[in-house]
Amino acid sequence: MSNEAKSSTNAWLSLLLAGVFEIGYALAVGGSEGFTVLTWSLVAVVFFLLTLYALSLALRTIDVSIGYAVWAGIGAVGAAVLGPLFFDETLTLAKGIWLAVIIVGVIWLKLADRTKPEAAAAPRSEQIADRTSAVQV
Amino acid sequence: MHWLYLAIAVAFEILVAIAAGKAEGFKNRKWTGITLASGAAATFFLSKALLTFDVGVGYALWTSVAGVGITVLGALFFGQRLNVNKAIGILLVIGGVVGLQLSGSA
Repeated sequence: MSNEAKSSTNAWLSLLLAGVFEIGYALAVGGSEGFTVLTWSLVAVVFFLLTLYALSLALRTIDVSIGYAVWAGIGAVGAAVLGPLFFDETLTLAKGIWLAVIIVGVIWLKLADRTKPEAAAAPRSEQIADRTSAVQV
Repeated sequence: MHWLYLAIAVAFEILVAIAAGKAEGFKNRKWTGITLASGAAATFFLSKALLTFDVGVGYALWTSVAGVGITVLGALFFGQRLNVNKAIGILLVIGGVVGLQLSGSA
C-alpha cells in the first residue's frame, strides 16, 4: 500500500473509532444520571477525550464536512440502537422512523457544508499540497 | 423541564462549535479553554435532559438541533451562505423533531 493510501486508511479507522467513542460518550452521559453516578461520569469524560483525539486525527486527512457527517451519523444511530440494550428504553417503530429522519437531516446538513466556492476554485495541485502538509503535522 | 435542559445543552454545544473554530487547532489558549468549558457545560445539561429523554432520542435531538443552530448562526453572523442543501437538512431535522414530539416518542 502506498503511503497516501495507508494514511487514508488510518484516517478512516480513526473516524470510525471516533464514532464508536461518541456512542460510548452518549451512553455514559445517559448512565451518569445527571453526573450523580461516579463510574459512568468518569467513563463519559474518558470517552469525550478519546472522541476529541480520534476525530482530530481523522480530520487531518478527511474533509471536515464528510468527517463530521460520518461521525455524527455513527454516534446518533449507535445511541438510538444501543440505548435500549443498556437502559430501560424501547425503540418503537414510530420513534425509529422519526429518529431516522432527524439523523438523515443532520448528516445532510453536515455534508451541505462542503460546497465552498473558494476551495472548489483553488487549483488542484494547491489542494494536494495543502493535504500533504496537513498530514505531516 | 427536560426540554429546558436540552435547550441549554444545545446552546453550549453551539458555543463549542464557534469556540473550536476560533481555537485554531487548539493553538489559541483562550478559545481552547472556552471550547472545553462549554463542552463540559453542554455535557452536564445533556445528562440532566437524559434523566427524562431516552438516550437515543435526547442525543439525536441535541446534536441535530445544535447543527441547525450552527448553520443558521453561521448564515446570520459569520457570512456563510445558506443554500438549498442546507435548507433541506434544516427542514428534515425540524420535521423529525416535530414528528417525534407529535408521535409521543420524545
